[in-house]
Amino acid sequence: MPGTIAPPEIELIIDDSRGGGGGKPPDGGDDDGGGDRGRHRPNGPPSPRRFSTAIAIAMVSILMFFMALASAFLVLHHGSKVWVAVRLPWILWVNTAVLLGSSFTLERARLRLSLGDVLGFRRLWFVTTVMGFLFVAGQLVAWRQLVGEGVYIASNQASSFFYIFTGAHGVHLLGGVAALLFVLLRNFQKSQIPVSLAAEITSYYWHFMDGLWIFLFALLYLGK
Amino acid sequence: MVTHDSGENQPERPRGSFLSRYVFSTDHKTIGLLYLWLALFSVFLGMAMSLVMRIHLVWPGAHIPFLSGLGSSAEHYATLPLLHGSLMIFFVLTAAPQAGFGNYFLPLQIGAREMAFPKLNLFSFWPTVISLIGMVAAFLVAPQTGLSLWIISVSVFCAAALCSALNFVVTTIDLRAHGMTLPRLPLTAWAWFLNAILGMLIFSILLAACLCLLADRFFATHFFSTGDFLASQPANVAADALPVLWQRLFWFFAQAEVYIAMLPCFGIVSHLIATFSRRPVWKERLVVLALCGVGLVGFCVWGQHMFSSGLNPFSPLVFSVLAASIGLPATILLLSWFATLWNAGVQLNTSLLFALGFVSLFLSGGLSGLFLSRHDFTSTAVNEDFVTGHFHLVMGVAATFAILGAVFFWFPKLFGRYLNERFGKLHFWLTFAGVYCVFMPMHWLGLVSHAGRIPGANLASIAAWIGPARSFITAGILVTVLAQGIFLFNFLWSLFRGERVAECNPWRATTLEWSVPSPPPPDDFGACEPVIYRGAYEFGVPGAVDDFIPQHIAPDRVVRPN
Repeated sequence: MPGTIAPPEIELIIDDSRGGGGGKPPDGGDDDGGGDRGRHRPNGPPSPRRFSTAIAIAMVSILMFFMALASAFLVLHHGSKVWVAVRLPWILWVNTAVLLGSSFTLERARLRLSLGDVLGFRRLWFVTTVMGFLFVAGQLVAWRQLVGEGVYIASNQASSFFYIFTGAHGVHLLGGVAALLFVLLRNFQKSQIPVSLAAEITSYYWHFMDGLWIFLFALLYLGK
Repeated sequence: MVTHDSGENQPERPRGSFLSRYVFSTDHKTIGLLYLWLALFSVFLGMAMSLVMRIHLVWPGAHIPFLSGLGSSAEHYATLPLLHGSLMIFFVLTAAPQAGFGNYFLPLQIGAREMAFPKLNLFSFWPTVISLIGMVAAFLVAPQTGLSLWIISVSVFCAAALCSALNFVVTTIDLRAHGMTLPRLPLTAWAWFLNAILGMLIFSILLAACLCLLADRFFATHFFSTGDFLASQPANVAADALPVLWQRLFWFFAQAEVYIAMLPCFGIVSHLIATFSRRPVWKERLVVLALCGVGLVGFCVWGQHMFSSGLNPFSPLVFSVLAASIGLPATILLLSWFATLWNAGVQLNTSLLFALGFVSLFLSGGLSGLFLSRHDFTSTAVNEDFVTGHFHLVMGVAATFAILGAVFFWFPKLFGRYLNERFGKLHFWLTFAGVYCVFMPMHWLGLVSHAGRIPGANLASIAAWIGPARSFITAGILVTVLAQGIFLFNFLWSLFRGERVAECNPWRATTLEWSVPSPPPPDDFGACEPVIYRGAYEFGVPGAVDDFIPQHIAPDRVVRPN
């Protein structure tokens, strides 16, 4: 079991990568740092901080993508007098609950990890991953329910938006599921980044997907 | 732990096959160069198309070897402008100044050894190539298939541009060397950084719009097409209102795309002017703020393209004010360039000439933009020749001049040889005169074509001049394109036979890329980590022997007269 000795190792890895990589935060800007000129540094990978920055920037970009769709939705919705709203399948409420629950278990998992309980972390993380899969499966069921009612993507503008919103969100969410699986299956002994950081970055993205779904669901629900 | 203890080691040469050294290399320098080669290829292809368009406009029956087949049929002729525009905008103006020079020089200028995500960088470049192939192929297949292929290619390009922009932002935030604070960033790096942020925001919008369009084409959805939307509109609105949503989404992207092309050019031109006039950039902080302002306003002026296609009656005024307010940061930039040049002992080499040419074109193109920002003027008095002349001057040609200035400036660093100055100057003057001869008459054509609406205008005498003006423009294009032959010859000849660069820093520039050999070794800075001690434009420093102090020189190592 790799668990019990992990936390001190994690600390070590953090020290190692922060100390060795490039990308130090530039210091204040005083002009007298002559002593450290020409310091050696190993040609290691740059600071793992870049992963957190990247996911933050990527989230802004993804938000922009969905805002473009949402504004198109609002413009067409208000411009149309014959808007035929989609009757949202009931399973969407279940899916929403599952997704919210997965955010909760994910935070519990990270708490276990910070307490050093790696086994508990992996167990809760596994539950989160399964809930992620359940959500995707639930969305597919919702699609099937709509198809069963004869509402297809080409039926009308509202149905087009329903399929586009859920489809685009589902694809982005699958990226999150891939990240969950990555953290679950990856051997972090050999990795550049510690498991705690990987879990933290995944959690940002997962909560973001969660919030995004709430927003889209509210949009679809209120835009009837 | 293995460290590079011996700094005197032979620089490591990249080993491995051609594939691993060039095609699958994750080195930022290789990828930057690949982008530049891609842009060079695309610019000549795009120029050939403009040549075909203009020649067939004047002499419809003319036969041009190799090229006439492209523009012969009516359908093909109609798609030529689309292909010309997409090649030039996406693969030249977006790819060269940002992805090309940016990938190569951003890590070198901020003291990083790599981009933040080298593999992601590789996965930005090759989709870009695939998207280029897709767009060119779209031109050759049947129109409906071609249009779908073109939209897919644009989506692929957007995804690649998003990955690349992500890489730029994270690299600038997290990978700066010790002491490289934000105020010490060179203006080029600032411009690449801000531009990447802008790119992150707008390319995702174009991607969303393209996905909706593809859904319309493949799944018969109703985002931009007929259906109940039209049925709900009054009959007189319906015909105009149909594509309005697409136009909004598209122009939201496309107006900001202008600034995507221009922002890095602003940075490059400020950099060149400071370096060759041996003066610090005038009000450097203000210039950075102006660059931010360009990005911010560029994000808000999309509505100005909708003056003629239906908007809320009050919104044209808002967009008009916003569009005119782009003049403020633009004026700050112009002031800074002129103030930096004022009374300076400039070194008038080809690189600076192109930078000055950029300033001239930006100024004259920007002035005609002032007319276009008036919503009442745009919707009535101007036809597309005026607009074509305007955006070619201010965006297309001006940005190309900045790119050429950057090529002449960085060629010694890229390849360890100089470009030939004599050919360079000849190329500059021919191109400079040529583009003015092409695009200034276009403004005039755009204005006179509406003269028929003025009561009492002597239509016959005006119409008699339109034909000759068109021929003059075509002749101007021929000269300009032939002048690019000089550049191509100069480029290829200098690549193999040009005068070798003896030192690291031939232009006596201050930024970090000039502290490494030309061309830079694979690991950029060798065994030592660069440390930054000062701002990027310390020229003419009192009390120093040299008239410049590079950023990596420690205060105690500055040579002072005794």
